[in-house]
Order: sequence, then C-alpha cells, then structure tokens
Amino acid sequence: MRRLFMEPIGIFILAMLCQVYSCASNVSDSVERIQYASVAGEEYLQGDKLDTNLDDKVYFDFDKSTLDAEDKNLLEQYLPAIKKAKIVRLEGHCDERGTREYNLALGERRALEVRDFLVVKGVSGKKIRVVSFGEEKPLKSASNEKAWAENRRVEISLY
Amino acid sequence: MNRALTSLNTLLLILLFLSLIFSIFSIPKLDIDEKQSIRVNFYELIQEDDQLFNSSIPDLGMKKETKSFSSNSKEQKAVETAIFSKFKINKTDIKNEISKIKLSMERDDILRVSAIIQERISSVWIKPNSLSESLVAKVLINLAPSGEILDFDLIEPSSNNFFNESILTAMNKMTFFEEVLSLDRKLFEQNFRNFNLVFKSSGEIE
Amino acid sequence: MIKFYLLSVMLISNSIFSILEIEILKGSDNLSKIAFVPFGVEDGVEEDYGMQISQYIEKNMLLFGEFENLDKSEMLSFPSSENEFFYRDWKVLGVDYSVIGRVNSVNVLGNLNISYSLFNITRRIKILEGEIVGSEDNIENISKIISNRIYEQITGLRGIFDTKLAYVINSDTDTYQICISDIDGKNEQILFTSKAPIMSPDWSPDRKKIAYVSFENGLAEIFIQDLKSGKRESVQALGMTNSAPVWSPDGKSLALVVSFSGNPDVFLYSISNKRLIRLTNHYGIDTEPSWSPDSKKIIFTSDRSGSPQLYEINTKSKRKKRLTRDGNYNARGRYFPDGKSIFFVHGNDGNFQIARKKLSSRYIETLTSTSLDESPTISPNGNIIIYATKDGLNGYLGGITLDGKARFSLPVKNGSVREPAWSPLIN
Repeated sequence: MRRLFMEPIGIFILAMLCQVYSCASNVSDSVERIQYASVAGEEYLQGDKLDTNLDDKVYFDFDKSTLDAEDKNLLEQYLPAIKKAKIVRLEGHCDERGTREYNLALGERRALEVRDFLVVKGVSGKKIRVVSFGEEKPLKSASNEKAWAENRRVEISLY
Repeated sequence: MNRALTSLNTLLLILLFLSLIFSIFSIPKLDIDEKQSIRVNFYELIQEDDQLFNSSIPDLGMKKETKSFSSNSKEQKAVETAIFSKFKINKTDIKNEISKIKLSMERDDILRVSAIIQERISSVWIKPNSLSESLVAKVLINLAPSGEILDFDLIEPSSNNFFNESILTAMNKMTFFEEVLSLDRKLFEQNFRNFNLVFKSSGEIE
Repeated sequence: MIKFYLLSVMLISNSIFSILEIEILKGSDNLSKIAFVPFGVEDGVEEDYGMQISQYIEKNMLLFGEFENLDKSEMLSFPSSENEFFYRDWKVLGVDYSVIGRVNSVNVLGNLNISYSLFNITRRIKILEGEIVGSEDNIENISKIISNRIYEQITGLRGIFDTKLAYVINSDTDTYQICISDIDGKNEQILFTSKAPIMSPDWSPDRKKIAYVSFENGLAEIFIQDLKSGKRESVQALGMTNSAPVWSPDGKSLALVVSFSGNPDVFLYSISNKRLIRLTNHYGIDTEPSWSPDSKKIIFTSDRSGSPQLYEINTKSKRKKRLTRDGNYNARGRYFPDGKSIFFVHGNDGNFQIARKKLSSRYIETLTSTSLDESPTISPNGNIIIYATKDGLNGYLGGITLDGKARFSLPVKNGSVREPAWSPLIN
C-alpha cells in the first residue's frame, strides 16, 4: 500500500529533476552564446541589409515579452533566409507607457525571446546580435493604442 | 488546562455582564452639568452635515421630531402616556431616556459650533509643508460670550519654530468666533469660555 | 464604515479630558500673499537696479506657484527702509509678507551694497534683515541668494533658487541632447549631442559631474561627464549593456544595471577601482536603482512578482523587502530626502502618474493627473517634484508642490523634453 503511494511521487520527483536539469543545461548553453550588438564597426554594418520580402517585425502585448502563434509562424518563415545570412540583428522596442529604464530591460527581454526561439530552431547563437532601445525609438510618436501596439516590437534584420 | 480555560471564560462572561449592567445604569446618570469634552474628526462630520442638508426629506422629519420633543411638552406627555400604556415601563426610565436625548442634542450643538470654529481656523492657517515631522501644538483660547477672542496662548508649542509661527499667524487673523452666540449661555460657559485648539502637522486626513 | 468606527472610538477614548479640544489638521488652500516692493536706490546708483532686484526676487518666489504676489499698481506706499514701513498699508491689501530693500553704492567700481527686510504683516514683526555686497553685473545671482533667505524664513525649508536641472531633449530631426540649465530654465548649456538616444542623467552629489546612458556606440553604455572640462569617460568596463546609473550619496560609487546574458540585475560600481559588486540576482528584470539618503538601502524595480513593483535591498546584508503591492505597475522609485517616503511612477487604469507612499503605510497617493507621467525628480528641500509628461506629440516638464497647492509647467523648449534630474544644493 505504502509503495503504491510512494511510487507516483518518486516518479514525479525524478521527472522534475530531469526537467530542471535539462532546463539548466539549456539555459547555460544559450547564456554563453548571447552576443550583444555593440561598437560601431561591427560586422553587420559592413554588409548591406538582406532583403527577405518578409515582415521584419514581431509584436508584443503591453508589459509582455511572450511570442504568440502568429509571431512564431513568421519567424519560421525566416529560417531559410537566416541560414544564409551572416548576422541576424534583433532590436527590441517598447511603447512609451511606463518607465524608461524598465522599458529598456523589457525591450531586451523581447529581443531575447525571439533569439531563444531561433536558437531552438537551430540557428547558431553566434550569428545573432541583440540590442534594446526601450521606448527611445518609437515608430509612431502618437499616444494611442494603435501607435503603442506598433511600437511594441522586435525588428529583425539580416546581413 | 481545560478547567482553567472554562473558569477564565466564566470570569470574562461575568465581567462582561457586569460592565453591561454598569453601562446601562451609568449612562442615564450622566449629569448635564458635568463638564463635557468631546474630540471628533469634524471634517467628516461637516461632510455628513453637508449630505444632510443636500438630501433628504426623512432627515427633515427627524429634525421636526426632536424639536417637538424639546418644545412641546403636551405632545411629550402624550408620547409618554402612549409608551406607558403600551409597555409597562416605569417613569424614571423615560426621564432618563429624555435626559439622554437632551444630552445628545447638547453634544450636537457643541459639535456643530466646534466644527465651524475648526473650519474657520483651517481656512486661514497656512500650514508649513513639513512632511518629515509629526508635530503637535496646543493653543488655549479665552472667549467672551460675544465671541470675541479675549486672549490666546500657545501653551504647548511644538519643537518646530516655523510650525509655531504659522499657528500664531493664523490666530492673529482671527478676532471673533461669533458662532458661540447661537449657544445656550450655560453651554458656552462650560465649553467655550476656555478651550483648546490642537494643531497637528499630519494626521489621517489626506 | 472604518471612518465611523474611528469616530466612535475617538468619542469614547477622549471623554477623560476635562476641557474641550478642537483638532486642526487641515490647513488653508490659500497661498501666502507677498508684496515685493521695488527696492530704493541711493543717489548715484542706477535707478533701474532697485526695480530689477525686486523683480528677480518676485520671479523666483513665484516660480513654483507656492506664493501669490501683490501687484505693484495696488501698492499704497513704496517704503525702502523700516521707518517708512507701516503695517496697516499692507494689512488692508490682505498681504501676509512684505519684502523691502535698498541699494547703496560701495565704490566707483560698480560694487553695490544691497540691504533687505521681510515683514510678517499679520503678526506685525520684522522676521528677516540682511545685507549683501556684490557687483552690478551679478544682480541676478544676488537676487537668488536673497530669494533663498526669504523662502527659508517663510517656509522653514532650504531655498532652491540656485539649483540646476539636467534633462534630455529630443528634437524632430532625431537629435538627442543632454542639457543643464538654471532651475528657472535660464542659462541652458548643452553637454552632449548625439544621433543616438541619450537616457537617465544623474548628478554627482558635488554637482561637478553627470552620469548618463548613451547609445552612440550602438547599445546602452554609461558615461560620466565632467561639467567644467566637458571630458567624458565611459564606464564600459563591463562589456555588456549597462544602464540606469545613480550616484551614491558619498559620490564614490554608482548603483547601475548590468545585463549579463540578458538578465538585468542591480550592481554597485566603485568609481575609483572600477570594481563591480552584484546586488541582486534574479531571472526577472531588476532595474532603476536609487539610494536611500543614508546610503544603507537601494530601492529598485523588479518584475519578479509578474508585474513591475518596488523593492528595497540593504546594501550590506542584501536583505530585500517588497515596498509596493497595490496596482500592477509601480516603478522607478526614489526616496524623499527624509528617507521616510518614496515617490514613483504608478500605473492605474492605463494611466501612468506620479505617486508617493510612506514606507510605514500601504496607502499610495497619486500626485499628478495627466496620463503619461514619468521620471519624477525631487527638489533638494523635498517640497517640489518635477516630472516629464506629454501633451500631444511633445514632451514637457510639469511640476507640483507636495502640499498639493500648486501645479506648474516649465517653459517649453524646442523639441521633446524628458528625464529631468534636479541638482543637489551647493554646500
């Protein structure tokens, strides 16, 4: 009887352990490889931007950094082009609401979310450059829902 | 353990019962001549008052009722006898009830005048914005029956000189509290001949 | 219901006092009215100086809407010394305070001796008297000093008319500038111009340097700029994005945010030895640090609970405490100079407003009424908050006094103004 009780618990614990382990290894794996866009003269500035005929933006909800099915679908379409590109630049942005420094961090979080998705799909992390501009570079400067929705974005450019 | 708890409970119950009895007997005994002291948050009272004025036919009815109680003794008698016949209560109980009502009416008078005084001082007191300190200062006021301020004295100054100065400046702007003219002379002597204003730098009001 | 409860408790608990006590908690919404009488001038001194000085003082005192003035055309007399001064002339006009003064010549080199007095009309007493010697071409600064003394005498707070403001301007042509100016908007000075965004200016406690974030090299990078020499130095010893620099009260270190591998955390950075000490370590966003006045604690924003909320951390013990619970957006907290309250950006029903909260209470009090308010900065005397807000497409700076009596906005600049940072006092 007691064994009957213990067994599922034990299995559950084991499963959790596995999960945590795989997560941890996954994270540390991607952590090492994150590359930030940085100083002028970077690789991506040397070549021209590649034309993909794809929408180069994915959009987010307010104070959120999760990708929905539509975003993932778009990113999937990018994969063949990305395989050919030398550098993938991901630029995270926010709308004007909320505080600037928090938004700077949130923009980075958004760009990293896209990066993680691409890495899972087999893109080498070494190719990807991440940068956040927070709310400093809005596409639309109006203060309404439509403008805000357009401003909460990650811009993808290939070089 | 259990026994101890039970006895404690019984003790508490007895105490509660005693205090109940005591309160029943003591409230009517409160003599009207006894000096009253009432401190209330008048700002809320004023708001409630405003609501009373603004709305309400039933409230007007209430006022009529109380008026009839104090002025028309015939009606009062009628009420008394009516209550008499309906319930068998003895007469002193009713007397006590009436004195209670009278007391609460006087209390209302005091509150009303106090609230006006409070509002008038608030309207001239330019309070220094000292967020960090919680300051209290007490002013003793000596009034003539005409409402004229004969004298005032900062009997308990705060530790902050600017706070004290602001109070003195406000007090200097007041000369009369003519509101006390509406009071019964006895009530005036008991409550407003000498009274205190307690100035506070911070409180529940936001 | 709670109110009613309080009321009854007070009734019962106070019946032990034997004398009627009336509590006065609320002050008047009126402002003190001040008469700024044109200063008298001695023979041989330019007539204009007397008028100029009193006008400068008047402008300063009215800057934040804390006082009302008496129009000069209403004045019954123009005394310039105490024996010409009659209280009744001012009392009938409803004046609370009068400022008078006199300009005397010291020597032919243009040095002036300016004497001034301040009277409390209601109490019929002189409450301030002083003298300053200075040169003709320094009248504006002399007036600031006199304004400070008058302000201190009336309010009991430090005068702030010689403080400065740093801010970021973004003009239409996508040019970003970091500027400083006097608190009244005069003497604007551009510190740095860039085609890339500039953020988060913060004054060093000695007022000699400003730290800020610039994207000139493609990503967020912290710079320290010396105001006198204009020399800029990157704090880019870190190799990653870094942001939100704030000086410690002793000026020896910065609290800042470093994002190692996409996880922003708060760090302490020692300016002398360039060492970095980790303060927070969480997979959520930790940002917007600011020091408590006693420099023992740092307040920061974290989304570890799922939404941005304010926390404080003891810099020694690293013990953390959550400070805000109500609402789903409380960010960029700063302490009041007394360290007992905080002010921050509070999101409420889609509006973002400046709010304050006593550390000892849960109650959040919203201070502003526009909907896109951010980056609040407090005057060194703790009495005024200036913040950035938006009207249509342009950002401008608004302000409020903390007694809630006055609201004002600072003169509009060319372009969108944001991220004001109030300088410390010069000691």
